[in-house]
Amino acid sequence: MGSSLAPPPKPGNRRELLALGGLLCLVSLVFVLAVSHGAVPLKIFHLDETGRRILFEVRLPRVLLAGLTGAALALAGLYFQYVMQNPLADAFTTGASASSALGAVLALLVAGEILVLPAALAGALLGLAAVFHIASLRGRLLPVTMLLAGIVVNTFASAAISLLKFLADESVASIVFWLMGGFQNATYARVGLLAGAVFASALYGLLRAPALDLTAFDDETALSSGVPLYRLRRELLFTGALLTAVSVAFSGIIGFVGLIVPHLLRLIGFLRAGVLVPFVVLFGAAFMMLADLLARTLLPQGQELPVGVLTSTLGGLFFLYLLLKRKRELYELA
Amino acid sequence: MKRGVFLFTVFFLLLTGSALALRIVVLYPAASPILRALGIPDREVVGVTRHDRVYPGAIKVGSHLRPNLELIRALAPDLLIVGSRRAFPEETARKFSARIFRYDPRTLQEILTNIKALGEILGRRQAAEALVEKLSAILSRIKPLPRPVTVIYEVSATPLKVAGARSIVNDLIRVAGGRNLVTVPRKHVLISPEKVLALAPEVYIYQVGPMNRHPIPPKKRPYFRGLRSRILRVEELEFARPGLNAFSAALKLNHMFLSCVR
Repeated sequence: MGSSLAPPPKPGNRRELLALGGLLCLVSLVFVLAVSHGAVPLKIFHLDETGRRILFEVRLPRVLLAGLTGAALALAGLYFQYVMQNPLADAFTTGASASSALGAVLALLVAGEILVLPAALAGALLGLAAVFHIASLRGRLLPVTMLLAGIVVNTFASAAISLLKFLADESVASIVFWLMGGFQNATYARVGLLAGAVFASALYGLLRAPALDLTAFDDETALSSGVPLYRLRRELLFTGALLTAVSVAFSGIIGFVGLIVPHLLRLIGFLRAGVLVPFVVLFGAAFMMLADLLARTLLPQGQELPVGVLTSTLGGLFFLYLLLKRKRELYELA
Repeated sequence: MKRGVFLFTVFFLLLTGSALALRIVVLYPAASPILRALGIPDREVVGVTRHDRVYPGAIKVGSHLRPNLELIRALAPDLLIVGSRRAFPEETARKFSARIFRYDPRTLQEILTNIKALGEILGRRQAAEALVEKLSAILSRIKPLPRPVTVIYEVSATPLKVAGARSIVNDLIRVAGGRNLVTVPRKHVLISPEKVLALAPEVYIYQVGPMNRHPIPPKKRPYFRGLRSRILRVEELEFARPGLNAFSAALKLNHMFLSCVR
């Protein structure tokens, strides 16, 4: 991650504070928009019984879950990028997404929705264990081998999901739509669980921020600076996998967020981990709430689009724009 | 004399059709019970899809969405009964010299029309007419309702998909005296739970079967706590397949609606 070679900014940087304020405004604005708009028009200040139920039992938990999932996936992507020291790392390339989805799809076919969360967690941990085992050499984690192992796990899990889809035959449509992602089954319990996971993971990142900045240098420099590099990588890998598994279990596979959100912020010029962690959480949340709002409102008559389709499209287009606009400043020529 | 008897026998067999035994491959499982009801014997149905149990002796030729074309070709069929153009595209159909019969009804009336057409093709016109009469008699037992019952029919819970205007279920509801509140011109509609609550159907039907395995009952789902509808659980294979079953399903649904109106 060549971008991390920039000089460390001064504490209390005014630009960062302004950006934090801007991001908080953005999250609040998108939250208000997402809560006030949906398949059914609601008069927020004059709600009848049905309106109240729609707002508090359907829409509000959904908006909150979307925001937290965006935050979780973006944070997982950031941590994976630190572990792998590779800008292409995210929940997809590390195999965490696909192995978690494999567990969830198995649960959906065999036992129904009730077992999706434990199965997704088990799947993610199994995938993680495989990556960990393959990439470990005498107690060290090898970043490039880990990335390759992640791609292998991803390919294997994707193939297994395809096989299940083939065998399931008539349940294919259900699985495919589930894999495309969505927040229909949001509950406050899920919101609470994911909020806890995001909060704990972000706090961990903030506490480890100086060490995370040092991982941008080569291993020897980081080690000689007193960073417990290998333990740090294991912790980051586990935290990223946990965030991914919970997100996948609650919302299916939602692509691209973990990859683009950290990159967008780096492209704008935020490089320190202490700044990136909260910014990634806020920006990921705003991005996902907006994508879900569009998924809920673009089609008429209460129809919905799978949110994963929108995140990939929106994120892809925006990222492409930035790449074309700022390719000289990007990693190679920075 | 012997030659004369032989020629007469051949002529007689040709006339009655038994010498023209067809080789039929059925790629749409809902069509098999119709063939059975028309009296098509086991030896004429040489291939079926893997979940089709009506003709147990027939070779399994894959699923209706992914049929094995080599196997089908090896069976040298005279007649292929296939589903929609999406499931069996024209381009694939052109690879076979066999006659193609598309069975893709979206209403109960279209099922009856298809039965008659199959009867013509298979030389079973009388059996087809008798079957149509029998099925129409089931429909005639449907009792009128004082007003249409408003309905939403859940196809799958995760994600929430309901039957749209192009689903056979839509017509089944109409025939039974109900009105599908989802009028989107699609077979299945991915819908917001908010919309379902706002539409407030009198009856919310959820199916259980291959497309909706182990669903949580609607009122136990957090987003449907506010649903005031009467909940009905039905079997997918009985209610959402455009075959003979659809007629008794319509009658059953009519009885359910009647109890709701009362």
